[in-house]
Amino acid sequence: MRITSTPEATRLRHGVAFYDTEVDLLAQLVPVVEAALAAGRPIALALRPTTEAALRGQPTCDLADAVALTRPDGPDGPSGQTLAARWARELRTLTAAGRQDVCVVIEHWDAFDGSDGGFWTELDAAANVALSDLPVAMTCFYPAYPLHEAVLSGARRNHRTVLRSGRIADNADYLSPQEVLRASPAPAPMVLGPPDERRTFGAWALNEVRASVATMLLAAGFGRDRADDVVLAVNEIATNAVEHGPGDAEVYLWLDADGFVAEVHDRGVLGNPLLGLMAPHPAEPRGRGVWIARQLCDSLHVWANAEGTHVRLRAAP
Amino acid sequence: MTGIGTIDEGRVGHACLIPDSEDHLWEATAAFVADGLAVGERVVYFENDTADDLLGRLADDRVPVSGALADGGLLIVPTERTRQLCAFPVPDIVELMRQTICESESEGWPGIRLAGESRELLPIGGLRKLVAYETAVDGLLAQHPSAGMLCRFDRRFFDDEAVAAMREIHPTELVTPALYDDTLLRVTGSAATALRFAGEIDLSNRPQVRRVLETALDAALRSPYATTDITIDLASLRFIDVAGAVELVHAAETFPDTHRLVLVGARPGVHRVLDRCGAPFAPQLEVVPREEGE
Repeated sequence: MRITSTPEATRLRHGVAFYDTEVDLLAQLVPVVEAALAAGRPIALALRPTTEAALRGQPTCDLADAVALTRPDGPDGPSGQTLAARWARELRTLTAAGRQDVCVVIEHWDAFDGSDGGFWTELDAAANVALSDLPVAMTCFYPAYPLHEAVLSGARRNHRTVLRSGRIADNADYLSPQEVLRASPAPAPMVLGPPDERRTFGAWALNEVRASVATMLLAAGFGRDRADDVVLAVNEIATNAVEHGPGDAEVYLWLDADGFVAEVHDRGVLGNPLLGLMAPHPAEPRGRGVWIARQLCDSLHVWANAEGTHVRLRAAP
Repeated sequence: MTGIGTIDEGRVGHACLIPDSEDHLWEATAAFVADGLAVGERVVYFENDTADDLLGRLADDRVPVSGALADGGLLIVPTERTRQLCAFPVPDIVELMRQTICESESEGWPGIRLAGESRELLPIGGLRKLVAYETAVDGLLAQHPSAGMLCRFDRRFFDDEAVAAMREIHPTELVTPALYDDTLLRVTGSAATALRFAGEIDLSNRPQVRRVLETALDAALRSPYATTDITIDLASLRFIDVAGAVELVHAAETFPDTHRLVLVGARPGVHRVLDRCGAPFAPQLEVVPREEGE
């Protein structure tokens, strides 16, 4: 696959704060929220339920208008890139209305650590790309001593600034999302059973892939418009695989309790680990397909290993 | 012997069509039906699970058919009946066709056009039966100058030998040229700057689509008489991928200020892709959505 990115002015301000105890967490979090409220800035949050309750209990923190961002979740386990793309959509709506930068507060929650905590590294790196053009000030609160070392090392590398004693300082350990993910690649999602249908295809058989997907979706009760959109999403991923991969690719299709799942596998090298996370520049004719596919699916997870590049996408009716 | 021509002298006769693609098949069949309806003739279509394809293409072509379906101007013989007919001995089939023609004459229709699927004859009687049938039909039509018939021989079902035999029997072969046809996408044009896309645009034909657009713009710029709008009818375009849609939007953006790209009849799915690819922000691009009428 090929890297296509047009550098845009980064508007996202993405910082980290480390806390020792719950008391310390609130002591750092409350002033951030108070300052945003005082400035009349919209607030979006993704906090642990106990922290959110404690925050709402503060007399100085009226969070009636605050927007709750989507939680990390999903039938395949959490996907950092899918969640970052979702947050980008949610925050884009919020910033489009706004006159003011949006204040976003995020908190690490070990329930989503998975086997090694790598989800958080992927999420923060993907957020650096997906939210880059949004007028957002995002502060992520991480424990100073998490269970998984990866959580801490990811948090140290993904944030441009660090909040210490109420002051924002540059973070000397910051690395670009590409560098971070080169060292800690996005994990493979949970393995599914044998697919309901599989097909090897080249550039001249994309119409057959589309026909298979359309037949499956319509039989599963997807409406015409939704089916058209999901067919487009699969087509874009499949096109990418045969356009930039070395030769034929494979597509696996499933229908399960959560809806439709497709995986596309090619033997190419994943040049850009954060494919399709950034809105393409209008003058850049390429790189738009995967971005649109992400907008149309409920989740879209890209990962790579020695065998090649893999994409799993999910769509409910 | 084979004469190549288009059906526009009023006399249809016994014509065959060897389609380049599925979209060519429906383009030619729908035109044959529409021309008959336009001059007030009766049209009888023997369907073989293909009525939806025909009616879909007629709708793409904005040909009103509900009146003709109601008053017997357009008769669709159901699949089951078509297959039953094909199983009859040739003289019986031809006799039934003779009756159909005479009925329409006595009901006062100025002419009758027949079209449909003869491929069901092949598995039943092989090429021998097909030749006998077409030869007998040719004789029948010679006796009834107001009757015409379009026989389609799709190469997916008819081999070279069968196609050659059919060309031998039919006095006329209907040939409708395309600017491009790769069986997935068919591009036709009534003028250099009025094109029609039918089928699907994807990675496999992206370069050809670009070339077609460049040629149309070139023609528009060179001719002092050509209109400043390049129109593409998308009514029969079933799919366009993101790069294809970007290609159309980008083409309009690179047109000189004097020229516009007008896309008409886009289906909802195609329209949504164009919208997602920046069509609303290209001042020299106009997308006219499909009118959902009939």
